[in-house]
This record gives sequence, C-alpha cells and structure tokens, in this order.
Amino acid sequence: MTDRPALSVALEDISKTFGPVHALRPTSLSVEPGEMLALLGPSGCGKTTTLRVIAGFETPDTGTVRIGGVDVTDLRPNRRNLGMVFQNYSLFPHMTVGQNIAFGLRMRRVDKATQGQKVRDALALVRLAGFEDRFAHQLSGGQQQRVALARALVTDPSVLLLDEPLGALDKNLREGMQFELRQLQKRLDITSILVTHDQEEALTMSDRVAVLSAGEILQVGPPSAVYERPRNRFVSEFLGTANVFEATVERAEGGRLALAVAAGTATVRSLVPGEGILGGRRLVAVRPEKIDVARNGDGIPARVVEHVFRGSYHAYSLEVPGRAVPVFAYRQTPLVDGAALAPGDAVRLGWPAEWLVLLDDEAP
Amino acid sequence: MRARRRRRTDWAKVGLGTFVVLFFLFVMAPIVVVVVVSFGEAEFISFPIQSVSLRWYRRIVEYRPFIDSLLVSLQLAFSSALLACLLGIPAALALARSQRPLAQALATFLLAPLSMPAIVLGFALLYYLSALGFGVSFDALLVAHTVIAIPYVTRNVIAVYRAVPGDLEEAAAILGAGRFETFRLVTLPLIKPGVFAGSLFAILISLDNLPISFFFGTSSTNTLPVVMLSYLQNQFDPSVAAVCTVQMALAVVALLVVERIGDIRSASV
Amino acid sequence: MTAGDIAAVPARRRRARRFVGLGLGWSLLAVGFLLAFFLLPLIDNGIKSFFGPDGFSTAPYRKLLSDPYYLAVTWRTLQVSAIVTVASLLVGYPVAYFFVRYAGRWQTLMIMLLIAPLLTSIIMRTFGWQVLFARRGVVNVVLRDLGIIERPLNLVNDPAMVYVGLVHVLVPFMVLSIAAVLQRIDPRLEESAMILGAGRLRAFLSVTLPLSLDGVATGCILVFMLTNGSFITMLLLGGGNVVTLPLLIYQQFNLTRDTAFAGAMGNVLLVFAVACLFVQLRLIARRGVKA
Repeated sequence: MTDRPALSVALEDISKTFGPVHALRPTSLSVEPGEMLALLGPSGCGKTTTLRVIAGFETPDTGTVRIGGVDVTDLRPNRRNLGMVFQNYSLFPHMTVGQNIAFGLRMRRVDKATQGQKVRDALALVRLAGFEDRFAHQLSGGQQQRVALARALVTDPSVLLLDEPLGALDKNLREGMQFELRQLQKRLDITSILVTHDQEEALTMSDRVAVLSAGEILQVGPPSAVYERPRNRFVSEFLGTANVFEATVERAEGGRLALAVAAGTATVRSLVPGEGILGGRRLVAVRPEKIDVARNGDGIPARVVEHVFRGSYHAYSLEVPGRAVPVFAYRQTPLVDGAALAPGDAVRLGWPAEWLVLLDDEAP
Repeated sequence: MRARRRRRTDWAKVGLGTFVVLFFLFVMAPIVVVVVVSFGEAEFISFPIQSVSLRWYRRIVEYRPFIDSLLVSLQLAFSSALLACLLGIPAALALARSQRPLAQALATFLLAPLSMPAIVLGFALLYYLSALGFGVSFDALLVAHTVIAIPYVTRNVIAVYRAVPGDLEEAAAILGAGRFETFRLVTLPLIKPGVFAGSLFAILISLDNLPISFFFGTSSTNTLPVVMLSYLQNQFDPSVAAVCTVQMALAVVALLVVERIGDIRSASV
Repeated sequence: MTAGDIAAVPARRRRARRFVGLGLGWSLLAVGFLLAFFLLPLIDNGIKSFFGPDGFSTAPYRKLLSDPYYLAVTWRTLQVSAIVTVASLLVGYPVAYFFVRYAGRWQTLMIMLLIAPLLTSIIMRTFGWQVLFARRGVVNVVLRDLGIIERPLNLVNDPAMVYVGLVHVLVPFMVLSIAAVLQRIDPRLEESAMILGAGRLRAFLSVTLPLSLDGVATGCILVFMLTNGSFITMLLLGGGNVVTLPLLIYQQFNLTRDTAFAGAMGNVLLVFAVACLFVQLRLIARRGVKA
C-alpha cells in the first residue's frame, strides 16, 4: 500500500461468444485512474464476462484490454498484478488467514519478515488485527469478506476487481460494508471495477455506473445522471422504478421538443430538450418521486388504488383509465390539500417538465 | 377415558430396529468367528475355542509362503496404487469439470474396469501380456492391479475436485501463482482427501484380489490371497484364521493412518 | 452498439486459452494405459476365442450354447445373480430405511459396521461361514441344543450356503445405494400423505417406495453385476454344487487349460457385464436429467 499513481483500464472493441451465445457484443469502456466503476445488470448481461476478461480468465474473441495504457490482452492472469474479491470470497480453506493474505506476497518472492509485516498491516486496514492464525471457516461472513479484501489489496495491485463482493452478506452488514469498502477504495486511490446486480449498491459505491443488458453497455455515467436521465426504457426500469408514458411530438425546434402525453381524458404538455420528428411517437419516463399529485386541476385523472408506508416515504399505486399498468407516486407526506390520500380518492397527476425524461425508444 | 394419554409404542421402529440388530449380527458373525478361532489352541478348528494361544500366529511366521506372499501383496498394493495415482490424478483433474461429451465418455471409460468381471480381465490379460513377453511376472501383476486401481483413484479424485470451487484456483492465479504453483499450493492440498481415499480403496482391493492374481501365480509372484486359497483347499487349520486377522488388522491400521495423515496434512500445508 | 459496429469489428478471432485447470489431454496417460491393458486384452480375448488350433472356429460357442450342461451353467449364473440381488434387496431395504429414518445418532456406528466387512478379505468371510456351519459348528450345536435337529446337518457345501455367503458380501452395497437415495427424500412427504388419511404402510408404499426406486435400481444392478463375476464363494461354500461361469472358467483354467473355451465363457460373462453397465449408465443419465 505504497504511493503509486492509479492506473486506467480500457476495453477496446472486446467481444466474447460462448458457442452460439453472445456473452459480450463488441464493447468499449474506459475506467479512469482511481475511479470506482460499477458494472450493473441482470444475470447473463455480460458484466461478469467483462470482469473475467479484464482478470484474464477469459480470452476475448476480439479487441484489446489495456491497463495503464499497456496491452495486457495476451497476458496470463498471474502476470497482470490485479487484486480480486470473489463472490464467495474464495479463501483457501486449507490455509490460515495469515497464509491466505501472504499468498500473493509469497508468489512475488517477498521475504518472510516483510510478508509478516504486510499481513499485519493489511489485517489492521480491514480491522481484523490478530486474526492471522484463524481458518476461514472459523470466521463470520463479514470477516471472511474483509480477509478476502485484505488478500486482494496486500500485493498493491494496479486494479481492484470486485465480483458481487457483498452478495453473500445479509442486508444490514451489506450496507455497512458498502460505505467501508468505498472509503477504503478512495483512501487507497485504487482503480476499481465492481460487478453487481444490486442497483442500490451500484449507486452507493461507484463514481460511474455502466448498465449492461444482453452483452451490451447501454449507458455509462455518474450514478445521479444515469438515474435521473436514463437513456432508454431498460435503464429507466432496471435502475429504480419508472413511470413510462407514450408521447407525441407536437413541435420540434432548436433542439427542443414539445411533447404531449395523453392519458385518460387529459393531455399533459411539456417542453424538453431533444431531437425528433414532428408527429413522432416516443417513450418518456417520470420517476415516482417526481410525480405531482393534486386534488383538482387539469392533470391526468387517476384513482388511488393502494398506499404503502415505506419508512422514509409513502408509495401510492394509482389507476389511470385506459392504462394497463399503474402509475407509481412516492411522496414525503401523505397530505394533499390538508387531507391524507386514501384508496379510492380521485386525483390529478402531473410533473415538472424538467423531470420528464425523453427515452431513445420509439413508442410501439 | 378419551382424555387418557398413553405413550404409543412405535411398532414399526421396534420391528425395524430388531431386524437391524439381527442384520448386523449376520454381518459381523463370520468375521468375529474367524478372529476368535485364530486365538484357539487346538489342532483343529473349533468354535467356541477351549483355550487361548498365539500358536497359529507363530505358524504364520514359520510358514514361509505366508510371509513371502504378504510381502509380495504389500509391494503390489502400494506400487499399483502409486502408479494409479500418477496416471489417474491428472486424468481426474482434466475430466472432472469439463462439460464436453468427450470428457464424460472418457470418465466413464476410466471407471469401466470396475464393472467388468475381474476373472475375465485376469484371464485375458494373462494371454495378452504373455504375447507381449511378460506373462507371469511381478510387472504383469502390477499392470493388472493398476488397471483395477485406476477407477478407484479417478472416481474419488473426480468427486472431491468437483466439490472444490473453481474460483479458488482463479484466486491463486490472480494473486500471481503460475500453473504449477497453483497446482502445488492450492489444487493438490484440496484434492488430497480424494487421493487418500482413492489410494486406500485401491490398496484394500489389491490386497484382497484373487480373481486376477491367481492367473499370475508362481512361487515368487503368489499374492497372499492366492496362497490362502490354496492352503484352505488343502488344509483346514486355524492358521488361515490368523492370517485373515492379521490382514484385517493391517487394513484397519491403514485406514486409520491414511485418515490421520490426510487430516493433519490438509490442515497444515 | 448497432449492427454496423459489429460488422466493423476486425475478423481476427483469438483462440481461447485455458488459464486454470487441465486440458483433456492430461487424461491421455490413464486412457492410454486402459486402452492398452484393459480394452485391448478383452478384444484380443474375444477374437482369440474364435480361433482354435485349426483356424477360425465357433466350436467353443456352439458347445456352450448347445451342450445342456454348459447351457445350464450359463442359465444358473444369471439365476444365482438374480436370487442374490432379490435377497439383498429384501434384507437391505429395511436396513437402509432404518438408517435414514430412525438411526439418529447411531448413524455413524451403522456406517462403520457396514464398512467394516469391506476391510476384511472375501476369504476371511467365507472361511467364517465355513466355521459357523461346520458339522460341529455353532449353528449345528445351537440347533441341536434347541432340539430342532438330532444329528448335525451337512450345511457346508449346501447350495443355500452360497447364497448366504454372497448376500453377506454384497448386501452392504445395496444398503449404501438405497440409503443414499432415501436420504434425499423429505420425510414430510410421507407425513403429509398420512395427514391426508393414508395409513402408515400406504403412505410408505405410495410415497417413499416409488421415490426410492432409483436407489433400488442402482443397488440391484451393482449387486447383480458383482455376483455375476464372483467365484470364490461358490468355490469354497458350494462344494461343486453351484457351478457358474466364473467358477467354470477358474476350473477350466486350473484343470483342463482349454483356453479357447474359457475365453468363450469369459466373453459371455463380458456380454452380461456390458449389458449391466449399459443399464447403469442409462440410470445415471436419467438421474442427471432429473437433477
């Protein structure tokens, strides 16, 4: 854990097929030095394949992997100087904690005394000082996870790969570890790539999120940008909840579109930035917490179907005549015009124009 | 009356339990009888014995064929197990995790000797090896016993290796271990229980093998079971009981030693 | 990414390499060894059995399949295997059932007692039966003391002894095969059948038994296969009364040295074994699909 500049990682046109399955369509991605990038997607989307290509466990069919600008595509995993935390920690069951952590140092022919010192430092770093002589099976899940982290960091790797590192922990422990891991990563200034299917984990821990589906990267960006400005329907629905509407382009000028969302008996008009054809049908999305609920007005008519209290907010499921799926609204308070919303109430829905997100998808 | 509680006797359990006790009496009876008989004093076999003596154990030591064939048997058992490990472990590692149909077919082939009647194999091997120029010899025995030992080693190592998560070896690789270091420091210690179990089975089977060994019998290549069989067919005195008891004791000791070594090693490497 | 991007990708495809684990090539040593010293000898033996001193001849097979004596031996081989298999099943199933459902903390002891016989030689166990069933052996003494018999029975060399000996050797395999499958059956299935009104026996017959047939099949095929190749028990306990193919091969080899004929009998035995192996593989394949 010395001071050395963090390295970048770059994938250029990487593709990988397993038999007839396109695990990864030609994909390019770059990770800045010191950055934590999350690869987020459902299982089978190619996020794990991407990580395994970077690790060197899979040879890509095409393309180049660069670490710190150097082409490592044909380098064996043991020569890439990476650190990796596996989903089930993969601690060697026949070795003590100390031997596990020292393994990478041993491979690098570090002398015994230095090994001992570095193992102690690494254990202190993950707050497990004095655990050298235990075996993995004597530790709790959270402790095993820390040992795995110490083992991955002790060799001072150029990049840290995290494959669902918190997936096997229970919820409370997971939230605590998310912050701890993130702080450690920042403090050590180590370029990191996190694979996860948990959107909350991706949003909490990373500088940037890459959302993958069916072997393609759909969108890359800072968590807030990807959340607030999802590019298409998949991203909007995979990352949080989205109310997707069909809209008609009524005017297109100067990089702005006037959109009309017709639902029930009302039409809501909004002006949003974007390009489009006059009269085109497009999909738009509004996050539930951006939905305005009013008792009266000229918004979309709806009826409250269900109310659920979720601790920090109130969730409402609303039925709009002529619409197959409900509209969801999240509110800090149940009060609208001084009275609490209750199932059966007739309401009007709207949204601030700036929170209407124009999606890439054409409406069907 | 209706509220009266009574403890119901589980007749199914009692019945089955009795049956199981009788079953184990049946299983253990002939073995116990032989052990007891071996400590008898009388010239002829009788059970129960009248007085205890070790004379039949002395007889083993005095009767050269017993000792000679025991040494042949031990040498044969250990060298065929070793050879089977050298051949079978790499094969097991290569085949265990592969999903390819070819791998499955090869694994099945490596286990096939278990399913073939040993007497046919022994007979066929005798004439085949004779044609190759080493018909009746220790080498021929070694080849034949290795054929039988390979399935035991392969099967056990495959089973253990399949239970070892593949990412342990990947973890070693990412930490900087090359192929050989990964094998020596991670794979081998983890498959050790399978190697020991497989070798133990191979050794026990070899020590007990008659259907193959008797085809290759000469005064210098007779194994213990072959000598015992011919002794039993000609004489009927308790010395065979003593040999059987010694053989069993060796097997038990081997089992304990192998298990102990396996444990200590796999915990400390 | 669009289709255009995919088309623009260079045609060069890397060959996937393996970084962890061994390639199939590493199995070649063992496979080669067994090809040379297992498969080839058996094939060689098969071919040789068609060639007597005067060239090609099917005489050994004609003798085997037409002579009433040899035909009877072949038939008896299958018969003995079938009887031993059924007997092992009847004895072994209750033991396996008890082991899984009732044994509790006695399971370890039961396992040890089941494995213990495997640590002793077949000769030892056969010899034990000889002692027990001898003219002045325990069984005769007990039967006489109980007043069931007056004069000692000549039990050794009785065909029944062969069956006792074989079941003794092979029943642990049956118990272990059945127990392995029974262990995976949820006892609550049987309980829910009883809640639905089935009697205990009905519940067992309609739920547990059908579910355990996989283990029964595995155990049966194993015991059948192993009996098919046995001859020591027949030799030592049968007194020449239970002659099967393996025993005949042993005798032919020791006495007449009629190798062509012994080879032919071996091949018939081999055909039985291959048939068993085939059934066994089908069972495994079916289980694989289920799992």
